[in-house]
Amino acid sequence: MIAAAWVCLLAPLGAAVAITLGGTRLSRRGAGYLATVSVATSFVASAVAFFSILGDPPAQRTHLSTAWTWLSAGNLNVGLSVLVDPLSIFMMLVVSGVGALIVGYSIGYMDGEEEERRYFAYMALFVFSMLLLVQSGNLLLLLVGWGLVGLCSYLLIGFHHERPAAVAAAKKAFIMNAVGDATMALAFFLLIQRTGSLSFDSAFQWAGGPAGSWAVNLVALGLLGGAVAKSAQLPLQTWLPDAMEGPTPVSALIHAATMVTAGVYLLVRTSPIFEAAPHVQELAAGLGAATLLIAGLVALVQVDIKRVIAYSTMSQIGYMFLGAGLGAYASSMFHLMTHAFFKALLFLAAGLVIHVLMGEQDMRKMGGLKRFLPRTYLAFVIGALALTGIPPLSGFFSKDSILASALAAGWYGQVLFAAGIVGAFLTGLYTFRMVFLVFEGEPSAYAREHFHEPNRSEPWRWMGLTVGVLTVGAVVAGWIQFANLWAPLSDFLRPVAEPLVEPSGAQEVLASTLAVGLGVAGALVAWAVYSARTIPVPQARAVRATLEHKFYFDELYDWVFYRPTALLARTLRDFVERPVLLGSIDTLAGGARRIGDQLTELQTGLVRTYALAIAGSVTVLALVFVWVK
Amino acid sequence: MGNFVVWVVWLVAAFSCLGSGAAVVSFSNPYYSALALIGNLGSLAVLYLLLSAEFIAAAQVLVYAGAVMVMFLFVIAYLGRHADAPWAGGPSWQALGAVAAAGALMVEIVVVIGLKASGRLSDAPDVSASFGSPYEVGKLFLTDHLLAFEITSIVLLASAVGGVVLGSHARGADEAP
Amino acid sequence: MKGPDLSWYLAVSAFLFAIGTLGVMLRRSPLIVLLSLEIMLNGANLALITFSRHHGQLDGQIFALSVMAVAASEVVVGLGLIVAVHRRKLELDVDKLSTLRG
Repeated sequence: MIAAAWVCLLAPLGAAVAITLGGTRLSRRGAGYLATVSVATSFVASAVAFFSILGDPPAQRTHLSTAWTWLSAGNLNVGLSVLVDPLSIFMMLVVSGVGALIVGYSIGYMDGEEEERRYFAYMALFVFSMLLLVQSGNLLLLLVGWGLVGLCSYLLIGFHHERPAAVAAAKKAFIMNAVGDATMALAFFLLIQRTGSLSFDSAFQWAGGPAGSWAVNLVALGLLGGAVAKSAQLPLQTWLPDAMEGPTPVSALIHAATMVTAGVYLLVRTSPIFEAAPHVQELAAGLGAATLLIAGLVALVQVDIKRVIAYSTMSQIGYMFLGAGLGAYASSMFHLMTHAFFKALLFLAAGLVIHVLMGEQDMRKMGGLKRFLPRTYLAFVIGALALTGIPPLSGFFSKDSILASALAAGWYGQVLFAAGIVGAFLTGLYTFRMVFLVFEGEPSAYAREHFHEPNRSEPWRWMGLTVGVLTVGAVVAGWIQFANLWAPLSDFLRPVAEPLVEPSGAQEVLASTLAVGLGVAGALVAWAVYSARTIPVPQARAVRATLEHKFYFDELYDWVFYRPTALLARTLRDFVERPVLLGSIDTLAGGARRIGDQLTELQTGLVRTYALAIAGSVTVLALVFVWVK
Repeated sequence: MGNFVVWVVWLVAAFSCLGSGAAVVSFSNPYYSALALIGNLGSLAVLYLLLSAEFIAAAQVLVYAGAVMVMFLFVIAYLGRHADAPWAGGPSWQALGAVAAAGALMVEIVVVIGLKASGRLSDAPDVSASFGSPYEVGKLFLTDHLLAFEITSIVLLASAVGGVVLGSHARGADEAP
Repeated sequence: MKGPDLSWYLAVSAFLFAIGTLGVMLRRSPLIVLLSLEIMLNGANLALITFSRHHGQLDGQIFALSVMAVAASEVVVGLGLIVAVHRRKLELDVDKLSTLRG
């Protein structure tokens, strides 16, 4: 099992290295196959590990395997360790499973792309980084994985580096993630100071013991900062919509299914620390609720199909934060898994639409694609239904268990529940708005002109096949757990993350009814506005402006952070760097040159002067000699 | 009586040495300077004889006065009127500096000899009759100072090559710059 | 035989050296400079031989012979230079031959 875990971790790394070193010796399609096979190998390995861990009794399912001591400084010893326990196996399965499907899809989507090999190398590297993150046996290695996924995100968002918008988006994502990395590092420094170690056990023991509460709160805040940055929650959410500049499979894998869920994983993994800092945990839940509302509202006015799905991701992760913040860890992880399926499905199906429309992403130019792409339409609708939480699709089970836990978590939980319910309405509304705009009605002029019939070639078949598998997943993934009646997932994760709240049956029913009802209501409103056109699209200019500017977060950050920093940089350049630093160097160089020029005047070229100089020096030397003697 | 002769010989040789030296430096006609130098070398040979350095004296006359000065005269003849050498016009501070340096040097040496040596330089041990003979000198050259001997021969070889190269009709050597 | 003390010889040597130095520094023709250089070398030779006599050992004379050989070589090269300069129709004036300047 340990061997399986290591194979799972290292297979994608091997593929990334092989593709990089192979260069043009490897065919472009070959790079794609290599990457897909490596991630599929990871999945098989994690399945092997899963089945073997089931053989252990529930209390003994944590296995730590250390390859060697990586960092040793004073009392701090950090090993290159891999942790195999229920939580990490769960994440491994999700990451490698969905990852394999998406990488396979990319073989078709990126077919013919100039730098296909670089893409697949980056994708394999990303899967390795994400697996490192979830499998890491200590906090430092987790931070390494954290940083590496940020790097891969940057590389993949900016994949089309000749496009300035993509480059800017990549920079924005990386810089905002760096803020989170910094807060995490600070938290780790505090941990090292207090405990002298970065292993999970020592950190959890210290948190649980009679520690000074402000230190634990600071550590928890630092971790929350990192989680918020990586998962694009308030207040560090502005990078995610821009990240849609990357290719669609990248958006599916990194910015829907896996990387952005790393924050949730962190919250669950370090839950003992958060439980010792309850206010921070409540803050996490609150941020999740606020994000899900804001994202849902902004999604209502987006015209780019990928951005709608991006805001939807932000919103759904808000649900996961809500659940983890209230202590419903298993529900959050459950939602993480189902979300991975239906969100990846939506992205990849959207990718099919974009592909046949030769790269067009503006929904206003689409319409009536139902009759051109019937199977894509079906997959898309299934994804949309799962997202909205309609039974018996997967989203229903997971989202409602989060909402039920919210109901059971005291008055604060009930406030958040209200937010979650409103969010369910918004979800239905924006999701089906998207469905109707893209697929319903008469085919738009643009669609007719630019539609290019997908050929039955092999790449296209890859795309269709993987979307099909995801569709099935989106339908059945939820059947793994149903409220309190059948909870194998909760039981599986219980040894690692004991839930803080257990909703009663009545609460489950209430939550589900309200959620489903409002979701359906949202879909109906969308139908009325965008399909049947019985209600006109509301104007409400001020509201619309706010939503279109995404609540002015970008402008705020520009004024608060960017402009002062740029001003400071310019001032320093003009008043410190140029005059003082460069000036001093110039002065030194000029001075040296002037001294040299003056010294050259000694070389007159006249022999007699030299002779005089020699005679003079001999005289002086002789004098000195005589005196010394 | 012997002492008196030695003194007279010494005086004559010393004064002609210095006089011819001054003449070399002051004549403007290079022929006269060269001839004065020959005289200088001759008087020096006499002084060497007085110092029991017979071989050196002979070598001085043969090599220096005989070969080197002849070479000088050849070149002066070759140069013809271009060899005329008027006195220096140059910067006067140079002349002052030169005189000062030379004077200082001389004074120093005289002071050293006269005062500092405190009379030790006056003694001269008795030496055998074969003191400066070719045999003794040759023996030293081939035993203790073999390295100096060999290196000197290499220096001579190098200068011979240099002379040939400088004198050869290399391309463009005869043209005006 | 007696005769003057060795210090007299050294005084002559010092005078010769000084005269030679003056000649090197004050004359403009390279030919005369070379001649003056010869005088300086001879002055040094005289000192060497004097000291050899003073110590009763022949090392000074050996040195003086080497100096003579080297002086001869130097004269060869020097005269070769003067001839080469003359061939190029340049003025034989030490002050004018100053292109090797910094």
